[in-house]
Amino acid sequence: MTDLNSSPSLFRTIVFTVLLSSFCLSAHAQVDVSPNVLVRVGITPLSGSEGKMATEVLSADLKRTGMISPVSGGSGDYIASGEVTDSGVAGKLSKKSGEQVFSQTFSGKPRAATHEFADAITKAVTGLPGFASSKLAFISSSGGAKELYLGDIDGYNVRAITHDGVICASPSLNHEATKLTYTSYKSGYPDIYLIDLASGGRNRIAFFPGINSGPSFSPDGSQIAMTLSKDGNPEVYVMSASGGSPERITRTRGAETSPSWSPTGDRLVYSSDDRGSPQLFISSASGVTEADRLVTGNSYCTKPDWSPDGKLIAFTTRIGGQFQIGVFDVASRNAHLITTSGGQDPAWTADSRHLVYSNNGRLYLLDVVSHQSLPIETSISGNGEPTVSR
Amino acid sequence: MNKKCLASLLIAATLALAGCDPSKSNANFTGMGPDGTPLPDNGDKVDLSGIPQNARPGGDFDPSKDVDYSKLASDTIYFAFDSSTIPGAERTKLAHVVDWLKANPNHSLFLAGHADKRGTPEYNRALGERRALAVREYLAGLGIPASTLFTISYGSDRPAEQGDSEEAYAKNRRVQIGVIIKQ
Repeated sequence: MTDLNSSPSLFRTIVFTVLLSSFCLSAHAQVDVSPNVLVRVGITPLSGSEGKMATEVLSADLKRTGMISPVSGGSGDYIASGEVTDSGVAGKLSKKSGEQVFSQTFSGKPRAATHEFADAITKAVTGLPGFASSKLAFISSSGGAKELYLGDIDGYNVRAITHDGVICASPSLNHEATKLTYTSYKSGYPDIYLIDLASGGRNRIAFFPGINSGPSFSPDGSQIAMTLSKDGNPEVYVMSASGGSPERITRTRGAETSPSWSPTGDRLVYSSDDRGSPQLFISSASGVTEADRLVTGNSYCTKPDWSPDGKLIAFTTRIGGQFQIGVFDVASRNAHLITTSGGQDPAWTADSRHLVYSNNGRLYLLDVVSHQSLPIETSISGNGEPTVSR
Repeated sequence: MNKKCLASLLIAATLALAGCDPSKSNANFTGMGPDGTPLPDNGDKVDLSGIPQNARPGGDFDPSKDVDYSKLASDTIYFAFDSSTIPGAERTKLAHVVDWLKANPNHSLFLAGHADKRGTPEYNRALGERRALAVREYLAGLGIPASTLFTISYGSDRPAEQGDSEEAYAKNRRVQIGVIIKQ
C-alpha cells in the first residue's frame, strides 16, 4: 500500500480521473468540475424570519461538498436565492447570465428544507448527488452504555434512539433513512434488530445460536446481509428484510464479518481471516461461490464499505500499529491510504467522494479527493461505527 | 527424489492418463479404491465450519446473570493479538476444566470470548466468537459433549482491564470459562 504522504499527486490524479469520467457520463453536469477550480455559487441572503439561519446552513452545505465555493451576492457562476417559511424553502438557482436553472419548493422544517435545496444546487452544478440531507446513525458510549444515536450528517438534531443500557453495535441505515438495523445484547445475546424510524417499532429479526451481528441493508432495502455463527463459525448470510431463513454466502474456517453491498445489489464485499489475518473478499450475494480476494498490500483489512457509484471500496487497515482508512479502486485493483492520523469504520456519502469515519471517539467527514477531514461536531463523545443514508 | 515427491508424480500421471481416456471421464469421480476401481460419489461431505452451535439454553436463562465466571476464573484462556489459536501454554488450563467437570458432573459451560479494543468492533466480535469456539472445539476433543458447551462473544465491549497498555490488551484477549448456574 502506498503511503500518500509520499505520493499525493499520483493518488489525486487517479481519483480525479475516476471522478471526471463520472462527470463526463452525467447528462446533468452543467460545468466541468476540476480539482482546482471550484464552482462559484453566489448566495443572495434567503428571506423570511429563519432566513439568516438558512443562508448559513446553505453556505456550509455547499462548502462541504468540496466542489462548490459559496460566495456572496452576484459574483458567482450561479446565483442562489430563496424564501424560507415555516413549511419549507422556495429556492431558485440561476446562471450568471440570468438564465433560470430551477425554481422549486422544498417542503419541511426550515433547516431540513434548506438541506434539500443545497442538494438540488449540488446536483445541478456538479452532476453529483449531494449529501446535505443525509441522516447519520452511530453508536455512542457517551452515557455509559453503548446506545444507538441518529442525527443529521452535519451533526445537528442528534438524539438517542435506544435507552437499553446494554451493548449495541454496528448500525446500518437504509438509503431512505426510514429503517435502521443493528446489533443489540438486549436479550443477553448479540441479536439483530430492525427499527422502523417512522413508527419507532422495533423487531428482533435474527436470534440464532451464536452471534448475530453486523447487519447491512441491500441498496433496495429488501435484504440484509449479516454475520451469523449458528453453523459453528462466523459466516456471512443474507436474509430478507421482512424475515425468513438466511441464505449462506461464505463457507470457510475463518471469521467473515462486515458485509457491504455493491450498488447493484448482486455482490458483497466483506472481511475474512480465513488465510490468517483479515483480508477483503468479494462474493456473489446469492449462494456460496468462489470469493475474489482484494489485494491491498496490507495484512489487516476490515470493515469495507462499497461506494454508491460502485468504483471504490473504503476499508479499515492496520499499519505500524495504527488504524487508517484505505480505498481500493475496483477497476484498477489498486489500494491507497487516505488518512495519516488514524481512522476506522468508514461509510460513504451519496456523492462517492466523502467518507464519515471515527477516530478516538469522534466522527469526521473526509473528502477523499482533497484528503481534508473535518470533525462532525456533536454534543456527545465516545462515538463510533457511523452509517449514512443516501 | 523423496517418496513424497514420487507419490505426487505418480498421482499426477494417473490423473493425466485418466484425463486422456474418455471412458474414464466422470464428473463424480472422487478417487481410486484399493482394487483400482473408481470410488462412487456417495454425497458425503465434511463441514469445514466446525461443530454447529447448540440451541440457546432454554427457559428464562439470561447469559448476563445466570453464569458464574468465578469458579473457573483461574482457567481463563489468553490469546495472542488477532489470533484464535489456543497457545500451547494455555492448554493445561483446559485439562483442569475437564477434571473440574468430572468432579462436578451435570454442569454446562458458557464460554465468553473477548478481544482487545484495537480494531473494528465487528471484527473483534467475530474474533471473540472464534476464540470461544476454539475453546469449545478443544474441550469437545477432550471428550466433553459439545451439547453442554455454549458460546458468546462480547468483542471488545467487556474488557477485564481498562487502559491502552500492552499489558491491559493481553489481559483482554481471552475466553472466560463460565459455569451455567441456572438452566
